[in-house]
Amino acid sequence: MAAIDIPEVHKFIESTPPFASLSVQERKQLLSGVSMLYVRQGQTLVLEEEAATVHLIRRGACEIRTPKDGLVDQIADGECFGVSSVMAQNPDGLKVVAMEDSLVYRFEKSRFQDMLRQNEAFGLFFEHTQLHRRRKLSRRQDSELASPALQLSTSISHIMTRQLVQADPSESVQTIAMRMTEARVSSILILENESLLGIVTDRDLRSRILALGGSAQAVVSDIMTHSPVTLSPDALVMQAQTLMSESNIHHLPIVEETGKVVGMLTAADLLRHQELSPLLFINQIHRQTSVESLARICQQWPTLIINLIVTDMKPADIGKVLATVSDNLTKRLIELALMELGKAPMDFQFLVFGSQARQDQSLGSDQDNGLMLEREPDNTEAAYFSALSEFVCKGLASCGVRLCPGNIMASNPQWRKTQQGWQQVFAQWIKSAAPSALLHASIFFDIRCVFGDDTPVKQLIQGMQAEVAQNSMFLATLTRAAIATKPPLGFFRHFLLESSGEHKHQLDLKHQGLALINDLGRLYGLSCKVYRESTLERIEQAIREQLISVDTARNLMDAWDHLNGLRLEAQSRHWQISGTASAYLDPKKLSPLERKHLKTTFSIISDVQDIAQQRFLRGYS
Amino acid sequence: MWCRLLSRFKHWQQQRQSLLRAWSDWEYIVLDIETSGLDAKQDHIVSLGWVCIKQGVIDLDSARHLVLDTDEVGENVGIHMITDADIQQYGKKQESALRYLRHFLRGRILVVHHAPLEISFLKAAWQKHLLPSYGLTWLDTLMLEKAKANRAQQPIQEGGFRLNHCRERYSLPDYQGHDALTDALATAELLLAQIAYQGKNCRLYDLSLMAGGRSRLSPR
Repeated sequence: MAAIDIPEVHKFIESTPPFASLSVQERKQLLSGVSMLYVRQGQTLVLEEEAATVHLIRRGACEIRTPKDGLVDQIADGECFGVSSVMAQNPDGLKVVAMEDSLVYRFEKSRFQDMLRQNEAFGLFFEHTQLHRRRKLSRRQDSELASPALQLSTSISHIMTRQLVQADPSESVQTIAMRMTEARVSSILILENESLLGIVTDRDLRSRILALGGSAQAVVSDIMTHSPVTLSPDALVMQAQTLMSESNIHHLPIVEETGKVVGMLTAADLLRHQELSPLLFINQIHRQTSVESLARICQQWPTLIINLIVTDMKPADIGKVLATVSDNLTKRLIELALMELGKAPMDFQFLVFGSQARQDQSLGSDQDNGLMLEREPDNTEAAYFSALSEFVCKGLASCGVRLCPGNIMASNPQWRKTQQGWQQVFAQWIKSAAPSALLHASIFFDIRCVFGDDTPVKQLIQGMQAEVAQNSMFLATLTRAAIATKPPLGFFRHFLLESSGEHKHQLDLKHQGLALINDLGRLYGLSCKVYRESTLERIEQAIREQLISVDTARNLMDAWDHLNGLRLEAQSRHWQISGTASAYLDPKKLSPLERKHLKTTFSIISDVQDIAQQRFLRGYS
Repeated sequence: MWCRLLSRFKHWQQQRQSLLRAWSDWEYIVLDIETSGLDAKQDHIVSLGWVCIKQGVIDLDSARHLVLDTDEVGENVGIHMITDADIQQYGKKQESALRYLRHFLRGRILVVHHAPLEISFLKAAWQKHLLPSYGLTWLDTLMLEKAKANRAQQPIQEGGFRLNHCRERYSLPDYQGHDALTDALATAELLLAQIAYQGKNCRLYDLSLMAGGRSRLSPR
């Protein structure tokens, strides 16, 4: 009598894919030579010699890890490991660690291989398993780090920046500022004879030069932080984190024992390399099969955003991360809608406008979207797209992306048009150049395609831009609108005069600051030949097309970064307190220095408004 | 005379040393028997199930399930789920079944859950069928569990040493069937779990001290 006669073994194998699909005879064949083992929690299984074969977990849970401890997969009852050992001699050197006490069946290798050859469907299942793990594996190796516990114990040499931006102590502040700007870094190392003397960060430039009215010609050695806190390359991520938070710094030069500087580690590096949660979040989004479960997953969204903010990620990067998340969420909802409603009767594009298009969403952004249809729909087709839009917009709302108060949504039949239809409205807005058209301009002229073939959308944008180029009246009107609201420069004086800061004296960072820069960005962007969606990219494009001077543009970009940073911080603080995201800033919370910096930021906006007026309104005002 | 003494001493020494080897260097036969009652003098064996442990893993190919050819099953059907029909269909002569078992026992350690009962039945059977004398080394998973509970000073409730309850503590699956073979497999898994909790370098010697013994099965 053979193993197959143990009823409990038989019962389990019978109900476990892909074994369930084997014939009784095949199961019997596969089951002979099976052994069972018990693995203690935490124990690592070495898949060598007779153990280099497929195992099936009867009860328990195991992790599959790379040789460097990166997590590849977690599996439990009824799942197999050791597949790669059988199929390809485990080239990745994967190992298996028991997360729980586990009872495991071990198949005999040669019998298993026979079965793989003998039964195609059975073989395919394991090939798929292996492929699936390889995909996970390659994703892991891109960013090597996986679980939080693991990230902390990773050596910082894996994640530090090795390209060093450095300067001599005798150089001027301006030269190093230029070098930092060029290299797009927030700190610079000051070296003498290859040994580290000091460090200068963005914050130092601000607080030790700008705020004090210091000269751009000041010598670096006067403003640098002498003998900064450093760490050696073999230190762990956790140590770096602790050190940074204890010393309240965001930059750590990495210095070898010999005194040689080998790298730079910033708080942003730490985040970028360990905070995988946006990726995991997107992964989760794609795995959900109902709006309800999507909505449940999306409850983590605010936490994710706050995490990004807390870790000092650049506001522009946060915007991109959030846009990627909401693009994926939108796509998933459309896929679900297609599953529920059936295939669409024609090609269509899902368009997003406003902040999602510009990729500068933040907490509590609302949705602005629309549809582009291949052709005029008949009644049934119109009903189909109405249902689809309803599904997506409501779905977004239940996932925390608020419905648009102005009803600029695909669910509004007015915003479901063919390419021609869209072209006509844009042309009309541009021609009329009426103030009402400008209300729309601030939303519709920021446009991006998140679903469907984006060729017609590109055509629409090209047409729109050609239209704008021909119509200087429109640009003039747009300019008037962009400079109509002045940044609240008098605000602080006002605030200082009023002894108590009431709510009405709080600063609306979004409408009194960022929106002004976004308007300027759009104005310059639309007068460029190449269309860009995000404010920063529009300004950069304007530099390239020589519509704006490099200095002016850089100032404006810095102002945008600064205001966005303040807004995100204010929002997350407000969110943590009240659960709503308000972008109001209480000036009382600012230090005199920060107030000064904010004032500078506002005056930059004001300056650029003047410059824009010169450029686009000459002859009209 | 001296030669014999010397060889006996050598044998003893070898045995002693081998006791100190890792537990997995030994082979085990994990046995469960179903009986018609609890008294070895009056009741008899209805079925036997066993499975072997080799190199630290349970070898499922070694699983055996023997239903014995007895006069009548009677009222105890409810306990062991073996009916007269089973016996007529699969029934084996008790003597040949026991010889078969004896063949498997050779060189292996016997493992049972609650040794006194199983061994009393084996002894009785050996006497009844006048089987050749055989010295047996055994381990008792129930006793092992008790020893561990005592050592950890964890009182275990009445009935907490039943096979299923012991298994629960090691998160082993809940088996529905209760035939001799399933119980033998269940006991074998329990032993692996218990040993896994003994930590590394567990030796047969350690297990024997906690929950083992030697018995002699003989015709008289």
